[in-house]
Amino acid sequence: MRRLLRVELRRLWARQVTRWACVGVLALVALSGAATFLSAPPPSDQEVANAQEMFAADQEQWEKDGEQQVEDCEAEAEEQGMTPSEWGCDQMAPRLDWYLPPTQTFVPDASQQEMMFGGAEPAGVDDATAAQVAEIRSSVWNGWAGLASLDDLAILLLLVALVVGVSFVTAEINSGSLGMWLTFEPRRQRVYWSKAVAGALGTIPLVLVGFVLLVGASYAVYASFGTLGDLTGAVWLEVAAFTGRLVAAGAVLAAMGVALGALLKHAAAAVVGVGVVAWACFAFGFSFGEAQRWLPTTALSAWLQGGYVFSTDRCTPGADGVFECESVDHVVTMAQGGLTVAALAVVVTLLAALVFRRRDVS
Amino acid sequence: MTDGRTAAHEEVAVSVPGGGELAIETRGLRKTYRSVRGRSVGVEGLDLQVPVGGVHGFLGPNGSGKTTTIRMLLGLVRPDRGTATIFGHEVPKRLPEVVGRVGAIVESPKFFPAFSARRNLRLLADAIGAPAGRVDVVIDEVGLTGRAKDRYKGYSLGMKQRLAIAATLLKDPDLLIFDEPTNGLDPAGIREIRQTMRSLADQGKTVLVSSHILAEVEQIADTVSIVARGRLVASGRVADLVGAGSASRSVRVRVAEPDVTVATSVLETGGMLVRREQDALLVDGAADAAAVNRALGERGVWVHELTPLQADLESVFLGLTAHESPGGHTHRGGRTKRGGPAPEPAHAAAQASSGEGAA
Repeated sequence: MRRLLRVELRRLWARQVTRWACVGVLALVALSGAATFLSAPPPSDQEVANAQEMFAADQEQWEKDGEQQVEDCEAEAEEQGMTPSEWGCDQMAPRLDWYLPPTQTFVPDASQQEMMFGGAEPAGVDDATAAQVAEIRSSVWNGWAGLASLDDLAILLLLVALVVGVSFVTAEINSGSLGMWLTFEPRRQRVYWSKAVAGALGTIPLVLVGFVLLVGASYAVYASFGTLGDLTGAVWLEVAAFTGRLVAAGAVLAAMGVALGALLKHAAAAVVGVGVVAWACFAFGFSFGEAQRWLPTTALSAWLQGGYVFSTDRCTPGADGVFECESVDHVVTMAQGGLTVAALAVVVTLLAALVFRRRDVS
Repeated sequence: MTDGRTAAHEEVAVSVPGGGELAIETRGLRKTYRSVRGRSVGVEGLDLQVPVGGVHGFLGPNGSGKTTTIRMLLGLVRPDRGTATIFGHEVPKRLPEVVGRVGAIVESPKFFPAFSARRNLRLLADAIGAPAGRVDVVIDEVGLTGRAKDRYKGYSLGMKQRLAIAATLLKDPDLLIFDEPTNGLDPAGIREIRQTMRSLADQGKTVLVSSHILAEVEQIADTVSIVARGRLVASGRVADLVGAGSASRSVRVRVAEPDVTVATSVLETGGMLVRREQDALLVDGAADAAAVNRALGERGVWVHELTPLQADLESVFLGLTAHESPGGHTHRGGRTKRGGPAPEPAHAAAQASSGEGAA
């Protein structure tokens, strides 16, 4: 088995698809770096000067009638049945950052997460769950720039791993070389598992190096701008942990790619099939209600990001018979997500191994 | 072919050399395929015996079940029914025990185009645990030493096929199975492969070569099996099968044009079968050429040309598989590419000799 595995690894890396995948990953890194460079520069001196000018003007006005504005605000809050704080009356004083374009940092700051989640408190959950929700939402992978933008690109790396796994088997099936291979090693289970393991192990360097380069390119750009943000040792640990989870997911998806390739025998069918399932999960996942925690996309997100939060509506009839709905947050933990992905991979792989063992090879 | 169709021919059996030791044996092997048009039969109750040693031709028209049979022997296709053994080991169940003694090329060989011959073979050698030195040995055996470092994609078809043969030799097998090994090759390439196969057999290996082209097999095969519609229709030594065909005594006769009608009438009256071929008559069923000459001479028809026709394997093959090819010849009206005799008498004669040995 080890001998077969070594040979299969050499065959995997000798394949043109694998080499093109490497080129694709490098292109992705280059594009990502370029996009960051173009979109994330700090405000220019002119923008800062303009902002300071507007801030000074508003500040002057605030000093003149600020107290009156606060009084008006408190009156409105009372009319609305809210406290002045809830109505935002304590945040009316002008701040310079209101007038500056948003600053992107390598480590997303709280303002990014606030923009994503609107500063909403966890809804309809107990304290423990609320703490989990808050922790997940404050992760460096939530936001819209810096590290937070890399988790979307990481999905592309997983897609590459899947495609490499699928094509590894389908190319051999369709070219007829599988038949030739089986004349040398007719023990099909050994052949299948050597391919599955080779697909999983062989794509690890691709995903690992790809993501390290993505992080490195992003870091280099933000460092050159001097906008790394609050880059602590804990952040690097989280990056390392994410990389580990990503590599594991890449290996699992490559093995699933091998399995889907063996089942469907056609690369396009397998990749399009996965694409359709993923799209359906994103587009219609909400309609599954609480069951969406079992969707593969939810599970994968939870695994990669260290947890995932989704919301559903809980509606109950009020005293007047009218339904009242409230939003309820649900947490899918990293472990739950990982187990769901692993279970799916095991089922697909075992099914493929069974089919591979019995199916005629043309 | 569709299920339920009956075989067109009875099996012709002549003796098989080898004293009963068999490299390959199948009994009642059957394989059907499902398709949108229903179920089709690939192989129907095939009883095949390949003796140890020599070259065994596995002949039949396209679609007659040769490749399916080979795939079943190699464990690539699962038979519906029947048994198959290689060197006494039941396959595919015990194929792993005997696979080290079997080298096979099924249809076109597949290698990495960007790899050299040596690198491609090293991959395979590593997979089966063959010593690294074996790679250069087999490359030398097939005459590719000078091109061993060249990329596979730059090889001619003949070189690719030779590399495939080299791959099969990595295991130093006792049995080599080649499925249509000369497909697409030019005459020089065909000759090279033929010589290689003969050479391997001369080294004591058993070579099973499938083909639908008789000429390439007839020159090197010691024994043959002929299949049609998934069934075995003849098997035995080439010489015996051709000898059986020779019993037909076909004769080509040329007479003056005005005498053609009379000659035809005279010969048919004498119980012979006569067909017109351009400016000559083809006569089957005569005891010998002299009988034709005597019959015509007695009626005053003078013969310009009288040629006894030698049977060859191709004529036997065509006769036995005539129903397989579109527009194929009927037995009595048929004629081989080489102008050989009509096959039906050969069939009958071979059947008569079936007592010589088991097929």
